[in-house]
Amino acid sequence: MTLIAFLILFVAVVIGYVLNLRAARTLRAGGTAMHSLDGFHGGYAALSVLIPTFFLIVLWLLFQGTVIEMLLKGGLPSGQLDGLGTGEIQLIMAEIRSIAGGRIFGEPEQWKLDAAERLVSLRATSGMLLVAVTAALAALLLYRARRRVSAGFRARQGTEGMVHGLMVACATVAIFVTIGIVASLLFETIRFFNMVPFWDFVLGTSWEPQIPLREDQIAAEGAFGMLPVFLGTLVIATVAMVVATPIGLLSAIYLHEFASHRVRSVVKPVLEILAGVPTVVYGFFAILVIAPAIRSFGSDLGLPIAPNTALAAGSVMGIMLIPFISSFADDALGAVPRSLRDGSLAVGATSAETVLKVLFPAAIPGIVGGILLAVSRAIGETMIVVMAAGLIAKMTINPLDSVTTVTVQIVTLLIGDTAFDSPKTLAAFALGMVLFLMTLVINVAALRIVRKYREIYD
Amino acid sequence: MYDVTKPEHDVDQAETKISARDVQVYYGDTHAIKDVNVDIADKTVTSFIGPSGCGKSTFLRCINRMNDTIDICRVEGEIRIDGQDIYAPSVDPVQLRAKVGMVFQKPNPFPKSIYDNVAYGPKIHGMTRNKAELDEVVETALRGAGLWDEVKDRLDTPGTGLSGGQQQRLCIARAVATQPEVLLMDEPCSALDPIATALIEDLIDGLKKQFSVVIVTHSMQQAARISQKTAFFHLGNLVEYGDTDMIFTNPQDERTENYITGRTG
Repeated sequence: MTLIAFLILFVAVVIGYVLNLRAARTLRAGGTAMHSLDGFHGGYAALSVLIPTFFLIVLWLLFQGTVIEMLLKGGLPSGQLDGLGTGEIQLIMAEIRSIAGGRIFGEPEQWKLDAAERLVSLRATSGMLLVAVTAALAALLLYRARRRVSAGFRARQGTEGMVHGLMVACATVAIFVTIGIVASLLFETIRFFNMVPFWDFVLGTSWEPQIPLREDQIAAEGAFGMLPVFLGTLVIATVAMVVATPIGLLSAIYLHEFASHRVRSVVKPVLEILAGVPTVVYGFFAILVIAPAIRSFGSDLGLPIAPNTALAAGSVMGIMLIPFISSFADDALGAVPRSLRDGSLAVGATSAETVLKVLFPAAIPGIVGGILLAVSRAIGETMIVVMAAGLIAKMTINPLDSVTTVTVQIVTLLIGDTAFDSPKTLAAFALGMVLFLMTLVINVAALRIVRKYREIYD
Repeated sequence: MYDVTKPEHDVDQAETKISARDVQVYYGDTHAIKDVNVDIADKTVTSFIGPSGCGKSTFLRCINRMNDTIDICRVEGEIRIDGQDIYAPSVDPVQLRAKVGMVFQKPNPFPKSIYDNVAYGPKIHGMTRNKAELDEVVETALRGAGLWDEVKDRLDTPGTGLSGGQQQRLCIARAVATQPEVLLMDEPCSALDPIATALIEDLIDGLKKQFSVVIVTHSMQQAARISQKTAFFHLGNLVEYGDTDMIFTNPQDERTENYITGRTG
């Protein structure tokens, strides 16, 4: 039925376009001076049918389930749902739905069978109604649009207005989704701070979230100090940036300025492949190659090294960020006008001097912007650290030690047996909030830097 | 300014600075410059004229090997400066470019201070031993470019903040600061208004006392005003080369005549 409704919509849109186009053409052929081109008359009809009808169908599909359920509940024999909790009512409704779908388990009561039958007929009615309403609305809109075709009608403004509205709607989707995400984080975070004092969280140096979920569980007392977790994130992100920044920048400079055409045509795609490797694969690489290598190297030197070192996770994350930084730096160097390069070469500077003294300073805003974006990626990166970093929060800045990160803790807090009224799960939202704020600040700083210095060489 | 008793084309006697023999330039498969032979005199202004795409800028860029920076560009033949073949393997293009300065069509000051723009070349080539010497080199170059009085109080401000004409003179100062022997100018006034153009033309006239100046221009009046020798390029060929007066009053080739009288482009 839904399919038929969409088909009707499609046909109505096409008919509207053709009808108005033809009508406008006929008018024009009759010698009338038209305000708008024929195509705009057609487009106006198509859009003015499409937009309202489409929203009608979508709204109908969104709300028909709820409405049918309410009707069904109202029609049940009185007394059947009395005294039952919401959970049990939901169970009964689910049973009725599965009977209506033909999956009957055991011997359901007669009133449930009756209800299932009514559900089936309600659904059918709703489908028919949808088709009928769609057709009626489309016809009405078609008629209205067709009536409007005249010499003076400003179909171009009408069409452009509707397209403009569509674009505004698309642009606001992203904004509203962001607001929704922040709001959900914020509410859960506030609930968390009702249970755990704010300063205990912000300044606490101990992170032991394994508190009992049920009365009879045996678990630790619980402590929610975010400092060791954030310290771990910073250690790993620092290791990652120490690996990624020099390698990324130098490879960008090499590729941009010194590499021959042939080298460039090989290395660039390889770097792009590196950027396309899923982070979970980097995780394997960290566990299976880097971590054992670091450990055996450490034992050769007589150093005791944890199996999950921050160094392993961080350096693999750094490898992941190399293509990110190098492509940013490459773009920034490429955006420096060629005339500056020529000017430098023409006074007898070598390529190296030109890069260091002219191109690099001019490209600095883009490069710094890229590095800061890489930092926020390093902080927010999850999969590699979940696989390769530790789980236990330690107050340490030793990269050879095992540390945990904010993202790892969020994952472990939300996996498995969870209840959304305990500080253990709510702590994940508080961590997420702080993470969000951190990356937000870094991103804003990056954008500021890029914007402030962008036009310096114009 | 001019010595009226001595017609300008008498500077013919000046010794040859640059001599090109059978120069061919290819961009990939395109033959951009064909069999160019020319002798450019020292302490003279030589202008290259011709329609767009005729190869005059390409040939100019051969003289300081700026074409080396273009991957697909290939130069054949021989260009000698003071008898030294500049395409010989023993010649380092970096040192060559310090000797053969260049000013571009669009002013291209670095995003640095005015002082650093001018000091860039001398610093790179280690021409000065201390700050005082460098200051002197910068001042001399800026005076040579006629810019000193306008910028002496704001040497620390960015060179990009100057007006278009001032930027172009800053670029000239940057080029002369390395004390080159030849100065190549690729349409240096095409982005400037008539007043800035007049300033630069005066400047070029002064510069020829020190250097051999080679200038590409689209303005035939400019070529006639400032140069003693003129070369006319057409479709990659050097059609005619001689004293400016001769080229503009009595061209030998029909193509030159058509071009300077505005019959063909």
